Amino acid sequence: MRILVIEDDAALARSIGALLRAGGNAVDHVATGEDALSVVAGEPYALVILDVGLPGIDGFTVLETLRRRGERVPVLMLTARDALDDRVRGLDLGADDYLRKPFEPEELEARVRALGRRRGGDPLPVLSVGTLTINRSTGDADIAGRALDLRRRERAVLEALATRAGRVVPRALLIGEVFGFDEPVGDNAIEVHVTRLRTKLAPDGPGIRTVRGVGYMLDAG
Amino acid sequence: MPAETVATDRGTPALRTRLLVAVLGPLLAAAILIGVVGATLIADVVRRTNDRVLGGALGAIAETVQVERGEVTLDLPAAAFGMLENTERDNVYYRVAVGNDLLTGYADLPAPDPATLAIDVPRYRFARYRGQKIRIAEVRRSLPRIDKPVIVQIAETLDNRGALTRRLMLALLIGECVLVGAAALLLRPALGWSLRPLARLRGAVEARDERARPDFSPLDTGPLPSELRPLAGAFDRLLAQLDTATVGVRRFTADASHQMRTPLSVLKVQVALARRGSDAERREALDEIADAVVRLERLVTQLLALARAEEAGVSAPLEAVDLREVAAAVITRQINHAIEAGIDLTLEGEGTAGPVVSGHRTLIFEILSNLVDNGIRYNRRGGTVSIMLEATEAATTVTIADDGPGIAPEHREMVFDRFVRLGAPGSPEGSGLGLAIVRSAAARLKANVTLADTDGGTTVVLRFAHRA
Repeated sequence: MRILVIEDDAALARSIGALLRAGGNAVDHVATGEDALSVVAGEPYALVILDVGLPGIDGFTVLETLRRRGERVPVLMLTARDALDDRVRGLDLGADDYLRKPFEPEELEARVRALGRRRGGDPLPVLSVGTLTINRSTGDADIAGRALDLRRRERAVLEALATRAGRVVPRALLIGEVFGFDEPVGDNAIEVHVTRLRTKLAPDGPGIRTVRGVGYMLDAG
Repeated sequence: MPAETVATDRGTPALRTRLLVAVLGPLLAAAILIGVVGATLIADVVRRTNDRVLGGALGAIAETVQVERGEVTLDLPAAAFGMLENTERDNVYYRVAVGNDLLTGYADLPAPDPATLAIDVPRYRFARYRGQKIRIAEVRRSLPRIDKPVIVQIAETLDNRGALTRRLMLALLIGECVLVGAAALLLRPALGWSLRPLARLRGAVEARDERARPDFSPLDTGPLPSELRPLAGAFDRLLAQLDTATVGVRRFTADASHQMRTPLSVLKVQVALARRGSDAERREALDEIADAVVRLERLVTQLLALARAEEAGVSAPLEAVDLREVAAAVITRQINHAIEAGIDLTLEGEGTAGPVVSGHRTLIFEILSNLVDNGIRYNRRGGTVSIMLEATEAATTVTIADDGPGIAPEHREMVFDRFVRLGAPGSPEGSGLGLAIVRSAAARLKANVTLADTDGGTTVVLRFAHRA
């Protein structure tokens, strides 16, 4: 899924980016609250990771502004502060989760996955579409017990389609969810991944239909 | 009043001892003085009273002296002697003489010189008679047709007077002893009662350390006597100072730990990535880990430097510090860093010895080191950092100038605060402590550090004003 990291410390931002990309996510990074506010509106982020201690506009203000604008994207707050008040304040302003630095990388990953599931409206870690089963915690997918060997991007596309099985997913939305904004996206980038997925899902898995000029749809059941 | 509050500290007498000395000493002196004055008064009063009785008896006898048919006669009244009867059975003597001729009484009672006696005015004097001290009252009468002076004398021994004096003196002595004794006895409870507010003050202080969190609000002592109010006030002021200091330390600790959390997070994430990733990813993670470790190390070093610079009372004596020598030492240490960053690092001006100021070399080194480090760190490749030394009559200044991006005027005061980093995206990782160390160390040296108003780059001026 597509994640925005708002963190002023370049080293930490690089680290979180690398960690989440390794988990199959597309990660964008901005260093200031101002940038964050201009970016969030335009991109279909599944999750925002927000550092409280930003120079200029601080994390709380960023969160407050986002929520006032009606942004419903899940927000995971990161803070170096211990105070209970801070945590309560963050959550009351509309944060969905809260993590204190220094955090365990596994915990960050797990919370990111949990927030991602909730975003899709389905908190169950295991997603089933017909014979296809996707474990969103481990990233494993199988068709009737046959394990699928998926690349990072393919898994992202499949998960994006599976959470909306039976509905057409616009191509632009798919690109937005799968690629970060500084990643090169070729004209047929999605097409390539979808083609590979079709091959891997065949013959007993659900099919992926192309709705010309609109996007793709995973057959439900 | 618990005893230990007035317990004697070595070398300092307890309050009770002090008060005993301060009160009982003068009290004893006063008692002695009163005793002496009292004894004199008693002797005087006893003499006057007894003299009056003696005078009465004298008058009674003298009244009966008259002239009958040319002869001096008298009729000794028994009452006159009755007046003089007393418990001590004093002997009473009398003598009535016309000229040198004895009319009646004791012939050998010491006779006065009639010329010294005024007529009808009784006179009293002490004398010795029959081996005893006596008091004589005597009067000279002038009778009609008698040429010679008629002398009437009456005398008594002094036993009664002595006994009376002794009794009165004893009463005075007992009174004085009771007074001094009572004062000595009452001093202890009086002191205890007076010091009770002090115990309350102590209670208020002791109640503090029983609480979990240090409480530096003013003491809750209730109303205090005026003597203790300054003490409680001083204590409250001390508490307020402690509060400020503690808040400072707490904030510093919080800031410091806050500051460590970010590189620690980087470390944790990169370690996790290194464990899972490919060889290339592992190498990348190791580089990130190395950077984070350097950052942490620098942070720790700077925190220690800041703690040192802020440590109250640098006890080392002021020394003469050659600024050129210190600047050269700083450049020597930073030169590799500068070369790596592609920065030209220079010390301006000629000569081998520079201006000398009075200060601490370590602190000056720390200041210049941090300023030069900032100049290199927040600069661009190919930039310059230069140190300039200048001595005028008014002051000696060290100027560290770089041609990096500079600091916006509205941020110039803020950067001296701890952990403030003007974090533009992509800016180098600093701890935000450098300028806080600089300012703190400069304050120690009574030097002044300012950011000069320049168009490009950052120029910091460290100014040592010459003492007039």
